[in-house]
Amino acid sequence: MSYSLLGRGVSRRTLMLGAAGAIAAPHVIRDAAAQGKAVNVGVILPLSGANAQFGVNSRNGIELVADEINAAGGIKSLGGARINLVVADSTSTPTTAANVAQRLLSQNDVVAILGAFASSLTIAISEVTERRGVPLLTMSFSDQITGRGFENIFQVVAKASVLGKAQFDGTLAIAAAAGQKLERIAIMYEDTAYGTSQAAGLRDGAKAAGVQIVMDDAYPLGITDVTPLINKLRGSGAQAVFPVSYLNDSLQIIRAMRQQRITIPAIGGAAGYVIPDFEKGLGEFAEGVLSISPANYDLAPELTERFRKRFGYFMVHEALEHAVCMDVLAQAMEKAKSAKPDDLRRALQGARFEGGWTKAMTGGAVQFDKTGLNTLSVPVMVQWRNKELVSVWPSEFAKAKAVWAV
Amino acid sequence: MSGLSPRQWTGLALLAALAIALPFAFEPRGYGIRILCLALLFAAMAQAWNIVAGLANQISLGHAAFFGIGAYTSTLLLIHFGITPWLGMFAAAILGGAAALLISLPTMRLRGHYFALATLAFGEVMRVIGNSWGGLTGGPVGISVPFAQPSLALMQFRETRSSYWLMLAALVVVTLVFVAIKRSRLGYRLRAIKENADAAEVIGVDTTRTKIIAAVISGALTAALGTLYAQFQFFFDPDTVFGVASVSVRMAMIAIVGGIGTAAGPILGALFVIPLEEFANQVFSAQAAGLSQLVFGLLLILVILIEPRGFMAIGPRLQRLLRKGDRR
Amino acid sequence: MIGGVYAVISIGLTLVFGVMGIVNFAQAEFLMLGMFVAYYAWAWLGLDPLLAAPLAFVVVFLLGAAIQRVLIRRVLKAPEVAQIFLTVGLLIVLENAALLMFGSGFRSVSTPYQTSSLQLGPLFISVPYLAAFAMSVASGLALWLFLKSSWFGRAMRATAQDPMAARLMGIDADRMHMLAFALGVGLTAFGGAVILPYLTASPTVGTQFAVLMFTVVVLGGLGSVAGAVVGGLAVGIIQSLSALVFPIQLQNLVLFVVFIAVLAFRPKGMLGAAR
Repeated sequence: MSYSLLGRGVSRRTLMLGAAGAIAAPHVIRDAAAQGKAVNVGVILPLSGANAQFGVNSRNGIELVADEINAAGGIKSLGGARINLVVADSTSTPTTAANVAQRLLSQNDVVAILGAFASSLTIAISEVTERRGVPLLTMSFSDQITGRGFENIFQVVAKASVLGKAQFDGTLAIAAAAGQKLERIAIMYEDTAYGTSQAAGLRDGAKAAGVQIVMDDAYPLGITDVTPLINKLRGSGAQAVFPVSYLNDSLQIIRAMRQQRITIPAIGGAAGYVIPDFEKGLGEFAEGVLSISPANYDLAPELTERFRKRFGYFMVHEALEHAVCMDVLAQAMEKAKSAKPDDLRRALQGARFEGGWTKAMTGGAVQFDKTGLNTLSVPVMVQWRNKELVSVWPSEFAKAKAVWAV
Repeated sequence: MSGLSPRQWTGLALLAALAIALPFAFEPRGYGIRILCLALLFAAMAQAWNIVAGLANQISLGHAAFFGIGAYTSTLLLIHFGITPWLGMFAAAILGGAAALLISLPTMRLRGHYFALATLAFGEVMRVIGNSWGGLTGGPVGISVPFAQPSLALMQFRETRSSYWLMLAALVVVTLVFVAIKRSRLGYRLRAIKENADAAEVIGVDTTRTKIIAAVISGALTAALGTLYAQFQFFFDPDTVFGVASVSVRMAMIAIVGGIGTAAGPILGALFVIPLEEFANQVFSAQAAGLSQLVFGLLLILVILIEPRGFMAIGPRLQRLLRKGDRR
Repeated sequence: MIGGVYAVISIGLTLVFGVMGIVNFAQAEFLMLGMFVAYYAWAWLGLDPLLAAPLAFVVVFLLGAAIQRVLIRRVLKAPEVAQIFLTVGLLIVLENAALLMFGSGFRSVSTPYQTSSLQLGPLFISVPYLAAFAMSVASGLALWLFLKSSWFGRAMRATAQDPMAARLMGIDADRMHMLAFALGVGLTAFGGAVILPYLTASPTVGTQFAVLMFTVVVLGGLGSVAGAVVGGLAVGIIQSLSALVFPIQLQNLVLFVVFIAVLAFRPKGMLGAAR
């Protein structure tokens, strides 16, 4: 991994694109669009702050698709218009995210916005885009995103509560297949939007299945000592543990479990458990760790290997889902034969999109309902096998049989 | 300070007219006007902080506590009881003042670094409560102000212009309060404390009580501004409104850069810092993440090393230099 | 046991306050720097973080001396507001400079003892924790010896007690301040390096420790080295105990409340004015 002053994987070309987009006077862009040369698409992601790594991954995914579309002749129904990405940093604060959205809308004339990884940022942006009537495509999980009756928001992945429930259901199924009946489980999650809403889904799943939750603890983000958590886990008698956390905590939790020789299976909740750094940090101890994920790259290797070739690591799920957002937007432009926000919204609402990158989603396509949720997306359970993430559940997506270590 | 000359009155009136007319120069729902709104809001926040820090010399690093209380109070009242944010704002101010009283009682005797540390911890306490008391605050997921058709009664406007005037009015109110306090007997006492707390005590000023009054006013105003923020942004979470960096330090930094203890300082500071921040984000954002914040840290250090009294002191300093030149 | 580590990273903070009368809000950022020095020593030289800790100490010691010379020295006689916000500014600069230089990812080392532990009856003692604790105790003892018996140490304590008298005795207060600041941040960096085996380094890791460190020194009494040790152990115990009674989510809340209470009722710390 090489780190330059400019951050990871920023090519000179993107630099210039971004800078040009930021500096170019609005009227210049309007002219270009009128001639059918370029369509400005806003990309708002946390490129600095605690979530920067995920923001950069996401941007890589979007750039990959945009470049491919442009290389293949742009948006054909718009006379070969190029996609021009206007990338902006939301930092990790919702206020900035909303400011940036307003800026892209009024200065860069973007026709739609993609982003912003973290749910709190996405919701803040949606308050701006809804009032301006511009479509916002996102892969943030939070239930709140499509739960507010907004017309301009499109969520390509399953909601957090569904993800949490799948994290539980998948585990139950895998354990059953291995001949173990789960009766007691432990949940530990960071007290962020992502952690709390996914934990709620886990709880629902356990309740529905009549499984007892013997430990249910939130802990502060960036915890400095997980020993109390692990002590509690040891005493709880749980048969499996469901940690929901980012990387820092996930490494600490798995290491502390190994130290205390707690060998019960750990089933992660995406985020910190499904990125290359997890394996790098834990080495052999990563092997066999399960996690839920909203999507996985091994479902469509013909597409996702292009990402690995260009960026040097496997296509993490947030990159994949953002790529799908980009592709769906491009398809909507083709269909609407227009790049006006109003036309795009109409083309997206309740519509079905097939082919292209949508094949990489679990549903094999994208179908938006009234609220803007993709109803076809179901979460998938993955397992670390030899430095790769392999889909193991549900069976229709499984590339290998899950290993359940008791 | 008291009694402005006719020339100064004219200047002030012109400035006011300019400030009121300014939005017409911007796209009504655009980006520029939005940044102006935030600049005014932060100016007002810095001014509220200034009441405690600038007049009583108690450096608070926990004003986010009051700000967050304000944002949550009005929003929760609106969601659960349909109470308009206009009334919610007053409820927010009352709660904010009460919280300020609560924290001031045990800590106001502390001075300098100790007080800064205690308030810092108080802000963090509020953040942790906001995050863990999910039943009330919605927890870390954050909370949205219900989407409504534009209406004055619900403080949701079609055009950002209206928000601008609201923020402007807020800034004027807070500044007037600041000036009124500065000129009142309370302000006189506060200054006495600032010069020499022990001496003030000797001549019969109840220093702790005086400082607590200042803190309560400051906390109440900050909470009311929290309501305005909620009605401007429509979504917030505990880490945002109770944030140390995003609120507490920012308010203080604006006041310091502009000129702590002066009425115009926070306004100058906000009009400089907020647009600069946006500009830096715009230029550097996709490339060198962190660079814009780095610039801020450097700016703060520079201001403190070169002129700890902020921009407000640079003018007179230049004047003195010029006058010296004349005499020679 | 983790309290011992807390003690060492906080001793630096208390040392700076004791000698110069300044609360260094940027102190935790030096912990972050120490972690990164150790990380790169591991990544490039293959050095174990525990062995890299002295290196982290030296690097950050030199940086600290420079910062004291260029920045802190100028505000020693300035109003408190200038002192507070100079270090706050320093905090912002260090954190974002780290972000620019190191990137935003979480870095972690892998060492053979990382996931091992010793079993004592029903108790498991984590080896990385134990190692960090041992290193902390060693560095704490070294500091104590230094302050107690070297000329520099005595001169430094003299400066802390009465700068004027110290000057009369021919002690260069300026040099003492520089030494104290450098030593303080160096120690914190040392602590950062020894905890790296069980944590991850990232530019924002400092903020996680900042409030913790303040609590430790306030509990023990600002400026008191012995107090920091007591405070560190106390915070470690409070953290473990509160986990038994309250949800772990409220761990920090309990700490903050203790923190405010101590400030309000015993601002000199639990040890009183023992210096």
